[in-house]
Amino acid sequence: MTTPTHMVELRDVCMQFDEKKVLDGFSLHVEPQERLVVMGQSGSGKSTILRLILGTLRPSAGSIFFKQFEITRLQRRKLQAVRQYMGMVYQYSALLSSRSVGSNVALPLEELTDKSPDEIDKIVDEKLDLVGMKDSKELLPEELSGGMKKRVALARALVLEPELILLDEPSAGLDPVIASVIDELIISLSDTAKVTSITVTHEMDSAFRIGTRMAMLYQGKIIEEAEPEKFKQSENPVVAQFLSGSTEGPILEGSLDAITKK
Amino acid sequence: MAEANPPVLVAQGIGQLTRTFLRDVGSVFWFIVNTFEETFERIQYGRVPFRAVSFFRHTERAGVDSVPLVGLVSFFLGLTMALLTGYQLQRFGTERLIPGLVAIGFTRELGPLLTGIMLAARIGAAFTAELGTMQVSEEVEAIEAMGIGPLRFLVAPRMLALVLLMPCLSTVSNIAAIFASSLVCKAYFSIAFPYFLDLVKDSLLIRDIITGILKSFLFGLLISAIACYRGLNVKGGAAGVGTSTTSSVVTAITAVIGFDTLYNIVYTTFYPT
Repeated sequence: MTTPTHMVELRDVCMQFDEKKVLDGFSLHVEPQERLVVMGQSGSGKSTILRLILGTLRPSAGSIFFKQFEITRLQRRKLQAVRQYMGMVYQYSALLSSRSVGSNVALPLEELTDKSPDEIDKIVDEKLDLVGMKDSKELLPEELSGGMKKRVALARALVLEPELILLDEPSAGLDPVIASVIDELIISLSDTAKVTSITVTHEMDSAFRIGTRMAMLYQGKIIEEAEPEKFKQSENPVVAQFLSGSTEGPILEGSLDAITKK
Repeated sequence: MAEANPPVLVAQGIGQLTRTFLRDVGSVFWFIVNTFEETFERIQYGRVPFRAVSFFRHTERAGVDSVPLVGLVSFFLGLTMALLTGYQLQRFGTERLIPGLVAIGFTRELGPLLTGIMLAARIGAAFTAELGTMQVSEEVEAIEAMGIGPLRFLVAPRMLALVLLMPCLSTVSNIAAIFASSLVCKAYFSIAFPYFLDLVKDSLLIRDIITGILKSFLFGLLISAIACYRGLNVKGGAAGVGTSTTSSVVTAITAVIGFDTLYNIVYTTFYPT
């Protein structure tokens, strides 16, 4: 087996939940500093891809690599160590509800580094400032709006200076201005901090703003993969229907012909 | 397809239940092993496995806050036990056996058992509901995604708190029951407090106390493991949390009583007197 040279690589991954096959021979690779956006219908398995990369889900078949590490073969201890190089922003933020905003962001630093409380406090302030949430440090997650929670989740994901950041619907439920702020932040992270990102979303504006490469997931496989401009002009009827939001086309018919025709 | 006859269906049912039971026992066992492994690995790296604040929060909730309940229930049971056995023993003129009977009964058996049942209902349910809610709101997965071991971070402080506090609460239970029986002895059977204490001291062996304490440690481990295991395996949203909490309490109480019986069988085999 060849050693992967990509930041992330998924090879022939299959994922099945009971009877339902979510991913079926799925392959994808992501280069360093790239901002990949994976698009697809709700329930098509986009979030599953992120969980597989993190190793919180194990695939039914196939291999997943993060740099030189094969995630699918790593022992628990090694996997925990590798996860420190990744940051994940969940669709519903997944902040610890019993801890304050500051404490949520500080958690990875407290648990995984030897930094002093003063240093931790300084980093937490810096990251909260980055997402415009410094004033909410003492609040509990239940006192925040959905958008604010998402920004705190992003600050928490960035606190260990990860090399790869995984974002699950980062702009869903945000107002257009805050959504743009988050998008700009993701772009600046890859430009300045050399962070690679994988975003799954079906928010078109956000997707085309962030992405340096777009991929379309349909029926367990990537059916189109291109740079944003080329992706927009894709002749694949599934992609065209998805981008236009039309009710006419193969998506609702569930036809496989349209995919293979490309 | 031919219909299966009733005996076959019954056998199948028993087989399914046995399989589920054995699978659950195995899962809880490995859950405990993995929690120990994750915790000791952390210690090996020279780091504290969990924060003292987290541990003390659980000890306060599981221990200090449970003292009134454990004390009161044991007090009432001690009263009842002394009163009912006292009248029977009085018929044979042996009411001086009451102090020993209550003392041995509680230190060896009823203290740990009652405390176990009360904590399974009170703290086991709380642990399951808390961890279950964290599980359905993806908080547990987020902890895991950060590279933090959820077993040592969430389970280990709860487990240690309950293991260490069970013997303390059992002792509270024993003292409350013995004190209650001393009141009954004084009021109904004319046994003065100093004489009562002498009778307790004469009848109680160190072995009885050690047995009770040992049992308490094990009950604490059992209750916390079952409660946390059920909590971290919740499926099905809010309804799932409710179902798992009920299941956790029922399983923990059954396990405590079952384990107590097993313990007594083994104990009486080796120490029949």
